[in-house]
Amino acid sequence: MARRTSLPVTFVVPTIAILLVLSMVPTLYAIVIALQNRELSTPDYSWVWLSNFVDLFLDRRFLNAVWVSVKWEIVTVVATMVVAIGLGVLMFEVASPRLRNIYCLLFIIPVLLPRVSAAFVWKFAYHPLYGIATYPYRLLTGGLIFDPLSKPATALFAVASVDVWQWGLFFAVIVLKLLETLPPQPIEAARLDHAKRWQIHAYVTLPMLKAPLISLMFVKMIESLRSFDLIYVMTRGGPGVATETLDMYAFSQGFIESGKVSYASAMAVLMMIATVITFTMLWKRVQA
Amino acid sequence: MKPIRLAAGLGAAFMLSATVSTIALAQAPVCSAPVKVLAQPRDGLTLLEDSKAEFEKLAGAGFQIDYLNENDRRAKSRADASTVGNYNVYYVDEANVALFASSKWIVPLTDYYPADYDYADFDPGRQKVATFDGKVWFAPLTGGGDLMVYRKDVLEAAGIQPPKTLDELIADVPKLTNPDKGMYGIALRGARGSGANVWRWMPFFKAYGGQWFDGDKPVFNSDAAVKATETYLKLFKDSAPGTQTGSWDESTGAFLSGQVAILVESTPLSGMAVDPKTSQVVGKIGFLPPPSPLPGGGYGHGLAIAAKANADDASKKCAGLFIAWATSKENEKRRLDAHQFGELNRTSILSSKEFADIYGADLGQALAETGKVTAVNFWQDPRWPDLGDRWGIILEELVTGTRTDIKGGLNELDAYANELAKKK
Repeated sequence: MARRTSLPVTFVVPTIAILLVLSMVPTLYAIVIALQNRELSTPDYSWVWLSNFVDLFLDRRFLNAVWVSVKWEIVTVVATMVVAIGLGVLMFEVASPRLRNIYCLLFIIPVLLPRVSAAFVWKFAYHPLYGIATYPYRLLTGGLIFDPLSKPATALFAVASVDVWQWGLFFAVIVLKLLETLPPQPIEAARLDHAKRWQIHAYVTLPMLKAPLISLMFVKMIESLRSFDLIYVMTRGGPGVATETLDMYAFSQGFIESGKVSYASAMAVLMMIATVITFTMLWKRVQA
Repeated sequence: MKPIRLAAGLGAAFMLSATVSTIALAQAPVCSAPVKVLAQPRDGLTLLEDSKAEFEKLAGAGFQIDYLNENDRRAKSRADASTVGNYNVYYVDEANVALFASSKWIVPLTDYYPADYDYADFDPGRQKVATFDGKVWFAPLTGGGDLMVYRKDVLEAAGIQPPKTLDELIADVPKLTNPDKGMYGIALRGARGSGANVWRWMPFFKAYGGQWFDGDKPVFNSDAAVKATETYLKLFKDSAPGTQTGSWDESTGAFLSGQVAILVESTPLSGMAVDPKTSQVVGKIGFLPPPSPLPGGGYGHGLAIAAKANADDASKKCAGLFIAWATSKENEKRRLDAHQFGELNRTSILSSKEFADIYGADLGQALAETGKVTAVNFWQDPRWPDLGDRWGIILEELVTGTRTDIKGGLNELDAYANELAKKK
């Protein structure tokens, strides 16, 4: 008969308790104030129950923010994974071990930059007159002006490119290191069967890396939800509301424009519910 | 003789003790802890930090200034004032003084501003902007109205006289635009915000006879608002690249780097334009008041005493002393000596010989002229930042082409204004 010990309880209970306090108290508080009509400018408030949630679904900026957030998630996650896998495989195939180390060092640097610094650097790089990123366009078109951050059609992609620059390159290093850890036998066997290089990766190496790649994708999905600083510095949600994600809009309503903290909390609560449901469904689908 | 000696002795002892207590009181530090200030970057404040020791000697404690850019400073100060109250002094501006005052986040300044520092010496226009509901709330760090700054060489080459009226400005701007030579007729502000694109748009609104209210009813979708917006968008076709989502920094930056022919902007631009450290167009520019009937946008930024962090009277006095010292004649003279034009607010300094020697008679004349047409264009109400920011987003959408229906956008704004008006 196994001897009962209190050791697991001793270690686990305080940790769980701290986690519960840290995560549940703000969450419950957010839910409570989402049911009220608190504003920063006045201490008075009353209970409005679900009124904030009803108002949200009639608010064109909120609906736009939902759509922008969805686009942002898709664009940044897909582009990051494509860049990471593409570059990772490319380095694995063509670079010598010494060159790989140099590339790895270079590719890690962007993600080490604070997001706000990266955002400022790229904001200047995209300047229509002086920007280094817009220089090739000016050169090729004889001086025509291209201002990607002020065009609704390009602003989101311009900001997303900075996110991909930071995370895609970093993930490429991880993909390379994952490829290097694979056993060589399946790859050798595929080569003996005259498989082409792309076939080896499409049918052998990448399927072998399915689990870690999915984990990377989940990490990126969570990271993309926290894009506030990048968007705030580069476009502030503009032009108009073209890059206004849910967190940007919630912050605007809570602290920049009207001080409607209850309305902003209602958005945060909806975001939390949507995120939990989406991630749970995706996780279950992947596990199946 | 003894009673006389005793009385003399007692009298001497009393005098001595009174003197000692007076000295002790005089030496008692006004501040018991460093003054925490939340501000936005200003050259004047950076210069002030060089004299930190002087304030420490005066007050018995130092100060610490945290800087955030304008929009972030507004958001952070609003959040701080309404919740934790970490800062003793807030940097406030014309757009949010009504909100801060009516929310009791700041206290009336003159109750704690030592008389020796002469508040009445500040430019009367700035005093007006600092006043809400009959009380003075901040001491100005910067302020003024608008000036038209233009490139004499570019206008001469095009055979164009500096525009005196709005119609002339509208006609001249396209003629001055020549992208092949990197020259644009004008630079406006496109970035959202009551203090950004809306600030530049408001003089057009007022010039066309716009009013925010008809009696108690908001009229934000009037014909004047439509016409002002149409004109603003028309002029934006010739505005320098980068200004469509830019604000003060982008429009003045384009002018100072020599890419803009005419700029109607807040008065600090003129000081920057004549300073070789910041301008590539020194010696090529002229100054005039804004083309008639554009009124100048009267504005003022300054320091106010926070209510929450200064719970007792002693803390408020300390914050008041800091503000008085920071905006004193002595510190303003230092700013003049450092050629910080935009940081000058006192009439004694603006009318001094040293000022005329540094900046010349032309600028002084233009400043005097523009003072006559400077007005408070925005709605002086706590709800203005909310409404102004809402219009800022719609206007940015119109500027960048996300939205094209001007009347529809203004109707949306008017509906929101009606909603806000009901809240009062």
